[in-house]
Amino acid sequence: MKMAGRYSIDELMVVTLARQFDDSTCAFNGAVSFIPVCAYLLARKTHAPGLVWAASSIAIDADPHCLGESTLSDAIWDGAAMLSNSPFDFWAFAQGMHYNTFAFRGAQIDRHGNVNNTVIGPYDKPKVRLPGGGGMADLGCMIPRIYLWSTTHNPRIFVETLDFRSGIGWGDGGDDRERLGLPGGPRLCVTNLCVMDFHPTTKAMRLKSLHPGVSLAEVTAATGFELVLPDGPVPVTAEPGAEELRILREEVDPTAMRLREFG
Amino acid sequence: MDKLVSIEAAAALVPDGCTLAIGGLSMNASPMAFVRELARQNKRDLTLVAIVNGMAVDWLVAAGCVSRVVSGLISFEGMGLAPHFRHAVETGSVTLDEYSEYLLIARLRAAATHVPFIPTKAGLGTDVLGLHPDTTRLEHDPVSGEAYVACTPLPVDIAVVHAHAADVLGNVRVEPKLIWMDNEIVNAAATTIVTVEEIVPHESFVAEPQRTTWPRFIVDHLAEAPWGAYPTSCFPRYTHDKEFFGAYTQAARQPESFAAFWRERVTGPATHRDFLQANGGDETLARLRRKEA
Repeated sequence: MKMAGRYSIDELMVVTLARQFDDSTCAFNGAVSFIPVCAYLLARKTHAPGLVWAASSIAIDADPHCLGESTLSDAIWDGAAMLSNSPFDFWAFAQGMHYNTFAFRGAQIDRHGNVNNTVIGPYDKPKVRLPGGGGMADLGCMIPRIYLWSTTHNPRIFVETLDFRSGIGWGDGGDDRERLGLPGGPRLCVTNLCVMDFHPTTKAMRLKSLHPGVSLAEVTAATGFELVLPDGPVPVTAEPGAEELRILREEVDPTAMRLREFG
Repeated sequence: MDKLVSIEAAAALVPDGCTLAIGGLSMNASPMAFVRELARQNKRDLTLVAIVNGMAVDWLVAAGCVSRVVSGLISFEGMGLAPHFRHAVETGSVTLDEYSEYLLIARLRAAATHVPFIPTKAGLGTDVLGLHPDTTRLEHDPVSGEAYVACTPLPVDIAVVHAHAADVLGNVRVEPKLIWMDNEIVNAAATTIVTVEEIVPHESFVAEPQRTTWPRFIVDHLAEAPWGAYPTSCFPRYTHDKEFFGAYTQAARQPESFAAFWRERVTGPATHRDFLQANGGDETLARLRRKEA
């Protein structure tokens, strides 16, 4: 996991994501979401003290002293100001867009930020039966600020065509979301190699910055679709600060549960 | 008026071919004592409705009880995929109707409220709708032209959920008030079975009626099962047993090792108490008890 120098890739991903959030962020998390959970907590403990995070979509303003092996369990609910009654409160808060931020990942991600967590292969005769989309198909339609992440940027994950669309990102691109009457859309995709955003009109995934030490050729080879490139030279992802690293390591995730997302 | 039966008698109420909705969410609060007994009684051809689940579904699939699963997500979360469920769907011995969480909730609410459909924006633009165009219909509002999904009723024969306390009349309390999505299946079901950590005097409900979650006319049958959600959690009393999840997943890698595990640690023990004993007894329970509880 170590990169040359004073931080590792998981830490760079968490810090990069955390810097996207601010005091207006009102977020919650689903299953196996250690990277965004760390990012919400880190943002709240640094530049965004007003950020709201509902642990497991249930424990609002939780402040756990460390994370557990599941992001959908009571291991991360300590310090909450409210344990919400999930079916009523959660879906009302989500559909009312009080919750405005959600991060998801997928076994496959396409150029428009749509994701598959259902099957590899045909639905009726799957090669791999995955856990299922869970709330992806719902929340992709309800939450305006969507973030994607992947700890294994390779052509099997970043694919030309999904085997199944479990959750909508920018749909077919362009104004597809708007035509379906859906708010906002994916803003950013943070991987172990780079940061990508979306072209403002086509909504196709566009390289935003390369992580330190990663080449453009590496990223294009690891991406199964043609990645839009930015005008001019590709920037390098800003490195984590010393204080961000200290807080992440000592206060947010001292038992390094985030490493469970790396194979 | 007394609704209390044994866990064995409660499980015996489930006929083969039944559509059974199972409560809890992911690692939390599934009625595992009841589910274990279903496996022991060799039920067949069940359709399971489990919005977000893992171990309960995997046990029933492993026991050969299931022909169809209606769900949004089945996994052991950070501890991996549910092995028997995955294998059964990949080999075609179990059919999976995948919905998203809210599409399932909307279908259950349509059943609960006796309306032809509940509209939602959930699922728009995804392949989930195409899996079942008759029950999640893409439609347009005749006035505004806006797209929505019409979710038709999902009838449930029996719902089974786990709660903290009940009186023998069937008044039930969930503490603090974390009922997950259990309300959705209870309201949609023709029959509701509740397993509880403890039976308490009726006076306890009268003293604090504001803490009652379900009234007695909603609950048809009750069974007492202390630690009845084990190996899932029952917040705030106890957390899930990650050792069990890990050992189960490990054993499932080989049919021989799983057969031994299944016999010794799941279906072999005669009673729920024996089952807890086979999984470490008091030592395990002490490890899982939440400190503030």
